[in-house]
Amino acid sequence: MFNYTFQWRQAFRALPEMLDGALVTLQIAVLSMLIGMTFAVILAVARNSASRWLRAPATAWVEVARNTPALFQIYMAHFGLGSFGIYLSPFAALLAGIAFNNAGYLSETFRGALRAIPDTQIRAGRSLGMGQAQAFRLIVMPQMLRISFLPTMNQTVWAILMTSLGVTVGMNTDLAGVTQDLNARSFRTFEFFALAAVIYYVIAKAVMLASRLAAWRMFRY
Amino acid sequence: MTFYRFPAGLLAAALVAGPVQADKLDDIISSGTLRCAVVLDFPPMGSRDANNEPVGFDVDYCNDLAAALGVEAEIVETPFPDRIPALVSGRADIGVASTSDTLERAKTVGFSIPYFAFTNVVLTREDAGISDFDALEGRTVGSVAGTYEAIALEADVDEWGDGSFRPYQSQADVFLALSQGQIDATIVTSTVASSIIESGKFEGLTIAGEAPYDVDYVGLITLRNEYGLLNYLDLFVNQQVRTGRYAELYEKWVNDTAPDLVIEKVYR
Repeated sequence: MFNYTFQWRQAFRALPEMLDGALVTLQIAVLSMLIGMTFAVILAVARNSASRWLRAPATAWVEVARNTPALFQIYMAHFGLGSFGIYLSPFAALLAGIAFNNAGYLSETFRGALRAIPDTQIRAGRSLGMGQAQAFRLIVMPQMLRISFLPTMNQTVWAILMTSLGVTVGMNTDLAGVTQDLNARSFRTFEFFALAAVIYYVIAKAVMLASRLAAWRMFRY
Repeated sequence: MTFYRFPAGLLAAALVAGPVQADKLDDIISSGTLRCAVVLDFPPMGSRDANNEPVGFDVDYCNDLAAALGVEAEIVETPFPDRIPALVSGRADIGVASTSDTLERAKTVGFSIPYFAFTNVVLTREDAGISDFDALEGRTVGSVAGTYEAIALEADVDEWGDGSFRPYQSQADVFLALSQGQIDATIVTSTVASSIIESGKFEGLTIAGEAPYDVDYVGLITLRNEYGLLNYLDLFVNQQVRTGRYAELYEKWVNDTAPDLVIEKVYR
């Protein structure tokens, strides 16, 4: 059935190139998480706010981010904005697309975490003389991040895997881009893709293990 | 009982062993269908007409080959990067997909003798201020990932050390990026360039001279070990030229005189 002889030597020779690509992949994933988390906090607060003018745009963002494919979001960041004369490089478009997606998902995670923290804590903080923002920042937010730590790391893994969609907007420096490039030159599709899959797996697994370890150390009561 | 079972087993083994020795050419003839991997966003080689039916030089070529084999042709739409997976996974029997016959690729797949030859040109926007190939240095350029011209252009951009190269997944994305201004120019085969300008789908595109690349000879592809089929493909390409069908198809799709498929001073 599978009429193909695997040539691993050729693939392993390209390993350094692929590992460089993996670094770019990690870089995009980490940046997209930082940007995504920042916006997610803002979105979560906006969606809980009493003002309709804050709630509506935040809800729209979350709806689009969670209910359309990430591929579409990245494509829009590149070709969609491009048709309005706003040019994002493949790197920027990929980063923007994933950060947008992360923000949508994380804001729901954060909103759930906020629900788990009793309102009385804000009032307690206020009665100690803190401002509203100060109470949120010093009392609520640390708890929110703690409750949502593992789901957040889950999203990080998701972000790492989503970076592979960059090839659709001409990204050629991340792991998927480098792999596609090597594939085009040699037609050794299966070797390079298998190797890339292993690298993605190892990265994702390492992130998950590290977060478990960190959670175990940080959250002991 | 054992006495009867033995010859029955032998008979069964013979029946099973027969088809195992059949090669791809036998399989195609006995199945009655030739499945060709064709790229359908690469006019005039392959595209879809108003009724969404596959048309183009490669489509006609596949139909001719099927007719010669006495079987039905089936067009399997295949993007450029997926040509090899399509062959290896058995979704297609051969690729009629403008595949450049590089030595690197020949390590993986089997090529027929060239069935078509491309020259490459610089396609740019009128407002980009690019008049020839040398003006590409330092600019953002792009092409379809995995094509002959993309590999050559990326190597040039690396050598210039200035500007950048973007590989897109389809020809349509390259034209979109070019017309939007995401990239300033692309290198494409002259046939594709004139076809897209003629179609009027994207305004302001213009050809700015030839690219200084070797003539891009492309072959039919199939699995590397299918010598019976490869032998047949070679003869088929030869016959297409001999009977004038190649010139006829070239005239039909490219509207020009067909270039020679002969490389001078060397065999094959």
